[in-house]
Amino acid sequence: MRNPRSGHRALLKYAVIYVAAAAVMFISLFPFLWMISTSFKPTSETFTRIPRLIPKNPTLDNYRMVLGETMIPKYFLNSLYVAILTTALSIIVASLGAYGFSRFRFPGRSPALIMILGVQMFPSQVIIIPLFIVMKNLALLNTHKSLLVSYTTFTLPLTVWMLKGFFDEIPRELEEAALIDGCSKLGAFTKIVLPLSLQGIVASAIFAFIGAWNEFMFAMTFINLEELKTMPVGLTSFFGRFTVEWNPLMAASVLFTIPSLVFFALVQRNLARGLVAGAVKG
Amino acid sequence: MQKQVDRLHKNAGRAWTRPASRSLLREIKKNGIAYLFILPAMVGIFAVILVPLVQAIVISFKRYYILDILREDPPFVGLANYAAILSDPQFWYSLKITIWFTFACVALTMLFGLLIAILLDQDFPGNNIVAVSVLVPWVIPRVASSILWKWIYDDQFGILNYILSKIGLKSFASFPWLARAGSAFWAVIIVVVWQSVPFVAVSLLAGLKTIPNEVYEAAEIDGAGFWQKTTLISIPMLRNLITILIVMSTIWDFKVFDQMFVMTEGGPAGSTMVLGIYTWMMAFGRLQMGLASALAMIMFVLVMIVTAIYLKLLMREETL
Repeated sequence: MRNPRSGHRALLKYAVIYVAAAAVMFISLFPFLWMISTSFKPTSETFTRIPRLIPKNPTLDNYRMVLGETMIPKYFLNSLYVAILTTALSIIVASLGAYGFSRFRFPGRSPALIMILGVQMFPSQVIIIPLFIVMKNLALLNTHKSLLVSYTTFTLPLTVWMLKGFFDEIPRELEEAALIDGCSKLGAFTKIVLPLSLQGIVASAIFAFIGAWNEFMFAMTFINLEELKTMPVGLTSFFGRFTVEWNPLMAASVLFTIPSLVFFALVQRNLARGLVAGAVKG
Repeated sequence: MQKQVDRLHKNAGRAWTRPASRSLLREIKKNGIAYLFILPAMVGIFAVILVPLVQAIVISFKRYYILDILREDPPFVGLANYAAILSDPQFWYSLKITIWFTFACVALTMLFGLLIAILLDQDFPGNNIVAVSVLVPWVIPRVASSILWKWIYDDQFGILNYILSKIGLKSFASFPWLARAGSAFWAVIIVVVWQSVPFVAVSLLAGLKTIPNEVYEAAEIDGAGFWQKTTLISIPMLRNLITILIVMSTIWDFKVFDQMFVMTEGGPAGSTMVLGIYTWMMAFGRLQMGLASALAMIMFVLVMIVTAIYLKLLMREETL
C-alpha cells in the first residue's frame, strides 16, 4: 500500500481475507442456523428432497409439542436447578480458596495449587466408578444431590484458578488500609476484594454454570428416573424415542442452547473490560 | 527507629539459627487463617476426587461384578484384571483408535485454530462479526451439537449429502455417514474439531495480539511475505502457547465421551469404541467394575503422563 505497485497485492490480500472469512462464517454458523431452521419447519418441509434454509411455512408446532407434550420442560428445569446451585456453591467455595491462595504464602501452597490443576485433567471415567458405588451406598443415586456434589467439585479447579487470577490483580494496599481501620481479614475479603472482583466472579460463575449445564456422563450414570433427568440426558433419551422426528428434536436442542448462548454473550463483554483499572484510577 | 533496626537484626539472626522444622511449624501457625480459607475447596477435592481415585486403584485389583456384591465381598484377584485387559484384543483396538482419534482431532484443531486466529488478527471491515461467529460452535452444548450433526449427517434427508450431491458428488446422495466404520470415525472427528477450534482460535488470537506490529513491519521491509511472517515470526513467538494448547487438547480429546456416545455409542460394530466409551460400558453396561477400574487406571496413567508435561510447561509460563 505504501507504493502504487503494491495496490494490486492489497486487493488480492483483501480478496483472500474475505473468501476465508466467508468460509469460516459459513462453517461456524450454518449448522446452528440449520438447527434453528429445522425447529421452525413442519415435517413436510423436513423430509423433502429439496431442503430450504428459510422455512416456507414457519410453524411453532414443534415448540408447542416439545413444551406441552414431552418431559423436556421438566428436564430443562432440573438442569437449571442443578446448574444454578452448582454455580453458587462453586463460587462460594472457590472465592474463599482463591483468596487464601492469592493473599497468603503458606507452606504447602504451591503443591496444593499444582494438585488442583492436575485433578482437572483426571479422566472422569476413573472417578465415576468409585463415586457411583459411594452414591449407591449413601442412597444418593437418583437424587440431584449426587450431581451437585460432583459438579461443584469438578468446577473448583477452574473457578479457583480464575478467581485467584482476578484477586491477584487487586492491589493489596486497599485491604491493608481496611485492616488498619479495624476490619477483620474476612471483612476485608467480603467488603473490599469481592466487590472489586465482581466481574471476575461473574465470569467464573458463567464457566461453572456452563460446565454443569453441559455435563452428560455423570448425569446419565447417577440418574435414571425420568422426572429427575437433566437436559443432556433427557434430550438423549428423547432422541432415542423420536429418532426421526428431527423438528421437535431441533426445537428441544435450541431451547437447550439458549441459556449457554445468553451466558456466553455476557462473559464476552465482561472479559473484554479492564478489571481493576477502573477501581484504582477512578 | 534505631531500636526497630536492632530488633530486625536480632530476628534475622534468630531465623538463621532456628531449626527448619520449627520455622515450618511457625509458618503454618502464622498462616492459620489461610488454611481456613482453602479448607472447603480442599475437602471437596479430597472427598470427591482424590479418595475415589484411591478407591479406583483398590477396585482395579478386585473381581467386582456388581451383581455379586449382594452375596459376597468382592475378592482381591491381584493383577488378573490388568492381565485380562492386556490380552483383550478390543482393548488394543480401542487404544489404537483413541490415539488416532486424538491425533487427528488435535492436528486439525490446531491447524484450523491457527488459520482462524491469523485471519482474525488481520485488520478488515467486518472482523468483529467473524470473531463472534467463530464462537458459536463452542456455545452449543456438546449433546445438542451431537444430535444436530446426526441430523446433518442423515443419509436420506441430511443437508450434508444434499450439498455434496448438489456440487456433483452424486455417490454421496444417500451415504450413511454414521453407519459405516471409517466414515463414522471421521464424522465424529469433524464434530469434535468443529467444537474445539473456537477455544484454540481465541487463545491463539490473544497470543498474536501480543506480538508488536513493529516486528511484522520490520519483516515486511526485509521483503517477508505472509508465509514467512507466519512461519518465521508468529509461530515461533507463540511456541509456548501452542505447546500448551496442544497438550490440553490432547488430554481433552483422549477422554472424548459425549459426542462419541451420542453419535455412535461406539458403533457401528464397536468400530468407534474409544477408551472413554469402552471403560464406561465395561462399568455400567457389563457391570464389571473391577475390569472397568483397571481400564480407567490405564487411561489415568496415560493422561497423567501428558498432564505432567502440561504442568511442567505451565510452571515455566506462569508464576504461582
